[in-house]
Amino acid sequence: MKKLLKKLCLAFGPTGLEHRVESLIEGEILKSMPSDAEIIRDNLGGIYLHIKNEGAPKLMLNAHMDEVGFMVTTVAENGQIKFGSVGGINPLILGAKRVIFENGVRGVILSKPIHLLSHEEREKCPKISDMLVDIGARSKEEALSLVSIGDYFTFDSDFVEMGGSQIKAKALDDRHGCCAMLSTIASLAKNNARSKYDLYFAFTTREEIGFSSAGCATEIIKPDYAIVIESKAVLDLPEISEDRCVGRLGDGALISYADGGAIMDRALTDELISVCKENNIKYQINRAVSGGNDSAPIQIGAHGTRVALISAPSRYIHSGACVVDYCDLEEICKALYAFVTRG
Amino acid sequence: MIELLKKLMLTHGVSGREDKIRELIRAQIEPYCDEITVDPVGNLIAHIKGEGKKIMLGAHMDEIGYFATHITEKGFIKVSPIGGINYLSGAFSSVVSENGVYGVLAPTKTDELPKADSVYIDIGAKSKRQAENKVKVGDFFVHTPSVKRLLGTRYVGRPFDDRVGCLVLIEAIKEIKNPKNDLYFVFTVQEEVGCKGARPATYTVEPDIAIALDVTRTDDKIGSDTLNVKIGDGPTIKIKDASVICSHELVVKMREIAKANNIKYQDEMLSRGGTDTSSMQIARRGTRAGAISIPCGFIHTNNEMIDINDVRGAIKLVKALVREL
Repeated sequence: MKKLLKKLCLAFGPTGLEHRVESLIEGEILKSMPSDAEIIRDNLGGIYLHIKNEGAPKLMLNAHMDEVGFMVTTVAENGQIKFGSVGGINPLILGAKRVIFENGVRGVILSKPIHLLSHEEREKCPKISDMLVDIGARSKEEALSLVSIGDYFTFDSDFVEMGGSQIKAKALDDRHGCCAMLSTIASLAKNNARSKYDLYFAFTTREEIGFSSAGCATEIIKPDYAIVIESKAVLDLPEISEDRCVGRLGDGALISYADGGAIMDRALTDELISVCKENNIKYQINRAVSGGNDSAPIQIGAHGTRVALISAPSRYIHSGACVVDYCDLEEICKALYAFVTRG
Repeated sequence: MIELLKKLMLTHGVSGREDKIRELIRAQIEPYCDEITVDPVGNLIAHIKGEGKKIMLGAHMDEIGYFATHITEKGFIKVSPIGGINYLSGAFSSVVSENGVYGVLAPTKTDELPKADSVYIDIGAKSKRQAENKVKVGDFFVHTPSVKRLLGTRYVGRPFDDRVGCLVLIEAIKEIKNPKNDLYFVFTVQEEVGCKGARPATYTVEPDIAIALDVTRTDDKIGSDTLNVKIGDGPTIKIKDASVICSHELVVKMREIAKANNIKYQDEMLSRGGTDTSSMQIARRGTRAGAISIPCGFIHTNNEMIDINDVRGAIKLVKALVREL
């Protein structure tokens, strides 16, 4: 599964241009989908696997394929590139970061070295609208021969294993959720297991800009229940008190009763927790009402959906160096498998 | 009616935990409805059959409150807000959990205005362990409900927002017999955290017209910003608020019907705040949506204030609308 996670994280898929991630996911689904299962596509690039159990309650698992990124807005005379962010990115993390375009062109976000910073500049927070990317072009013409206005680029970041079980990569938000769903699909096939649910695995697009295709998936599928697998930003750092840390890496799957976007269905959340308890799956409860994700549009889509949220606690998300603990991801996979296959 | 109002006020129903208030409302209206369902998110949907237009009236069941996020070593409970909390009113006042555990919301600093991250709940526990016996991370609290009569027809307490809207609909349901129009009454969830429940409810009902019943700010009290709305001058017909511009066609019709039935009303143009009307308007293929509000002083504090005559006016207006729209 770690190899698959690596492939997923390294795939290029900023919000609105998820097709490479989608092809990768389709390939994985085809390896283990049952013969009577069906692949459904929506008009926004979402791909759903439907494992049929007619008449049974519909359960939708959901993760989003897109990642935060950037888009070229103008090219200066000297060949440097102005850009905007696609999704929420903290400008403080951007200086001197490596970036990569869909066609493989690489660049570095400009940053003044400390030697040349004035006293005032050292105190100031930069704005993305003032930033430039250097792709090594020496003129506007040369730059425009390599990239065009409207092109996307993302963080150019390696997949690195560090410490005992942690992983650093870009796009772990929410490729780890995609990976957990693919692993569940593979486990179902491997064990020839059936679910008491009419089961949908919805890989959706455009979460990072707030107008998510998870809403479309809900309108199309009209699920009774949904479990969203999504990153949850945590602050489990030494100086942050327990009540503000949200969750801790390595302490297991993070289950939320509520976050900044939605108050989850209590009965479904409690059921997910009892499945964890019964199967000795390590879990923790989210300690803060912060952040939002596709649980919000899914909950109020169509006739309304009973929704629960499970996450890998994630450090430094929306950067090139998201960090999760692989053990937490394994606990999520166990929880999902146990939940969908229980009697 | 006052007895029912008191029951509605004193029943717990923070956003996302509306089970108890829903059961109370259900028991009240069940004998008068043809069909009652609870949808996946917890909205209560009641149907009184008729042949004419499909009209939906809604009021939200939920109230603002707090979510327990952490229990400290000393047994204090840290919380996050659910909905728009007024900490000035909330500080040093009584709270109660969904399981009936009482406490005090105490600020950690007394020389500045309390904020979300500078308050905790003291339930009287001497240790973390003692606190954990009573409260779990994930439990919800509300400010302790109350209702008291002031001079004349005024009442003070919480949460009038929006149990008073629920009361209007329940009383109307009890008095409506064999309606001409096809009527749906929805008691919605999670209005206080972004008008969530009203959208799936409207999707399911697919009404021709939708009207929300809620409270509105008044300008006869300190710091208010509503245009000329006064407590005791009658229910309002909403023109707009920060979340919605009501269907003009519906607003005009509502005014005509109010005038024809000699029901005193006020025009409402609210520059802040929102209601379920916004979610009703954009659900499915779109709905003609409007709202009736009960003028309410000191909204989202522990001492919201209303005039019971405005409630009586709103009941009359609802009955006239379902008859004549």
